[in-house]
Amino acid sequence: MAVFLLQRLAAFIVTLLVASLVVFLVMEVLPGDPAALMLGVSARPDTLAALRSEMGLDLPAAQRYLLWLGGLVSGDLGTSYTYGVPVWELVRERIGLSLPLALIAICLSTLIAIPLGVLAAARHNKPADVGVMGFTQLGVAVPNFWFAILLILVFAVHWQVLPAGGFAGWDAGFWPALKTLLLPAVALALPQAAILARVTRSSVLETLGEDYVRTARAKGLTRRAALWRHALRNALIPVVTIMGLQFSFLLAGTIIIENVFYLPGLGRLIFQAIAQRDLIVVKDLVILLAASVVAVNFIVDLLYAVLDPRLRGGGHAG
Amino acid sequence: MTLLSVRDLCVTLETPEGPAPILEDVGFDLAAGGSLGLVGESGCGKSMTALAVMGLLPERAVATGEIVFEGCNLLALPEGALCKLRGRRLAMVFQEPMTALNPVKTIGAQVAEGLRWHLGLGRGEAEARAVKLLDRVGVPRPRFAPGLYPHQLSGGQRQRVVIAMALACDPALLIADEPTTALDVTSQAAILDLLAEVAAEAGLALLLITHDLAVVWQNTRSMIVMYAGRVVERGGTHEVFARMAHPYSRGLFAASPGALDAVLPPGRRLAAIPGLVPDPLHRPAGCVFAGRCPRAAADCLPAQPAERRLAPGHAVACLHPHLEATPA
Repeated sequence: MAVFLLQRLAAFIVTLLVASLVVFLVMEVLPGDPAALMLGVSARPDTLAALRSEMGLDLPAAQRYLLWLGGLVSGDLGTSYTYGVPVWELVRERIGLSLPLALIAICLSTLIAIPLGVLAAARHNKPADVGVMGFTQLGVAVPNFWFAILLILVFAVHWQVLPAGGFAGWDAGFWPALKTLLLPAVALALPQAAILARVTRSSVLETLGEDYVRTARAKGLTRRAALWRHALRNALIPVVTIMGLQFSFLLAGTIIIENVFYLPGLGRLIFQAIAQRDLIVVKDLVILLAASVVAVNFIVDLLYAVLDPRLRGGGHAG
Repeated sequence: MTLLSVRDLCVTLETPEGPAPILEDVGFDLAAGGSLGLVGESGCGKSMTALAVMGLLPERAVATGEIVFEGCNLLALPEGALCKLRGRRLAMVFQEPMTALNPVKTIGAQVAEGLRWHLGLGRGEAEARAVKLLDRVGVPRPRFAPGLYPHQLSGGQRQRVVIAMALACDPALLIADEPTTALDVTSQAAILDLLAEVAAEAGLALLLITHDLAVVWQNTRSMIVMYAGRVVERGGTHEVFARMAHPYSRGLFAASPGALDAVLPPGRRLAAIPGLVPDPLHRPAGCVFAGRCPRAAADCLPAQPAERRLAPGHAVACLHPHLEATPA
């Protein structure tokens, strides 16, 4: 286990180093001078030069890279050019929205997808299976911004039970804040649930054909008991893999939904930072997201080991 | 007393090319505490026969006929009633110990599962019984803790665990489907000895399915030889071995390697049966073996030969059976 953790830690550091190098180089190559952008086209050259030197843009690239990296390690993410506030503050605010949103969405998606997938597999080629497959086909095909607008029309405009957009903030209290996240979470969860249900279905179908399921049936277990007790846990490994990928996406890939619901989330922040050439914010966010992906993968690996004892290592007897 | 009586068992498998008859008019009896060997090459329907008795045929398969076990026809029983018999009165040991155990559950829990399911034992009691069962089949503590997972055991050890699972609820019938085929030679003999031992000890009937004549010779009192979904020869194991009346039985016998030293001359060369088993979709109207049979004649082709009695307890489905003793 210690070896496993050390390996993971090494992989974590290497991944982040590579990511930081790549994002730094890309930002170097991209045209656009943040100082010029801040001062506008009519800026005098000497003012521009002064600002560039103040922002450290006149230093050699290698030095700037190391300075940035040193800052990251010591917890100083720098100051946003456009907002004029520490990047960490910006990020903290957005994470307070994006992380709970992603968590709610992934929980919803799991709660919908796994029972549906198992049901479809248990009733393979029967009406329930065909129904689930049709529903998931629809879920994959429907663009989620359109579904989001539909949700707003029904729940915010017609029934007026949930707000149409904006984020109340956690200071407003748990329930008001949660209320503003519900519709976006549903809009995000639907396509994810559709994919996850399909993965669950095919994975359960595959394990149902395994010899040990037949052994369980030979012991006298009913079809259903064999499915729940023997097939399901073995079927969950691909499901957990997809869930990990989906969670990483939900953290920052939700810009369209954030726009529909007017939510100040991480996706929106990164989009604005790119549009405004707020390079330091872009670089920090990319690193942060890379770190979260690696962390999620680590959790997924731990879950594999929980699910399957063969992945825990451990010796042979006899 | 007859424990299991199979009559006119036909199994048809739905395939894209149409229904394929897998078993045709299979019948046999097995007495309580008795032992019956089912011999034949791959694809002859041995395993399908076992699965039909267990009620675990694939979904695309349809079974007709009668499988009477302890007085009730299993083919007429609803699924719920079958579940109460499986693992309780009927048990099965499978061919592939590497895949027959659930990789994510401990061996102790897997052995205890049947006890909890059928006998309603609590976790502690069931696990204590599981430990005893594992001990009985040669997977004893402390070397093999019940908390081990299947991947931590060898093939032979896993097959012992599968046997412990099958024995858990004191069944009346144990079906062993090629229980040693996937094992190395040293474990094979040990597993067969174990099966014979536990069967004798618990007085349970053994239906042993194998392609290995030596295994039948050593472990069963009576046997049937199957070919292309039909029974071609049946009788007491000694009688069948002494005569080998069906040309297919002889072919199988001549093709068997070693381990039959008791009945075979030394220095014998192995023979192969020419030709292939007919495809279930295109079986001939007459004797299914005629296409490969050295003794086939014109009268073999129009209709399936009926079983004829050669001696008390020895019958063969052949028009031109060998009437002389098996050559030594």
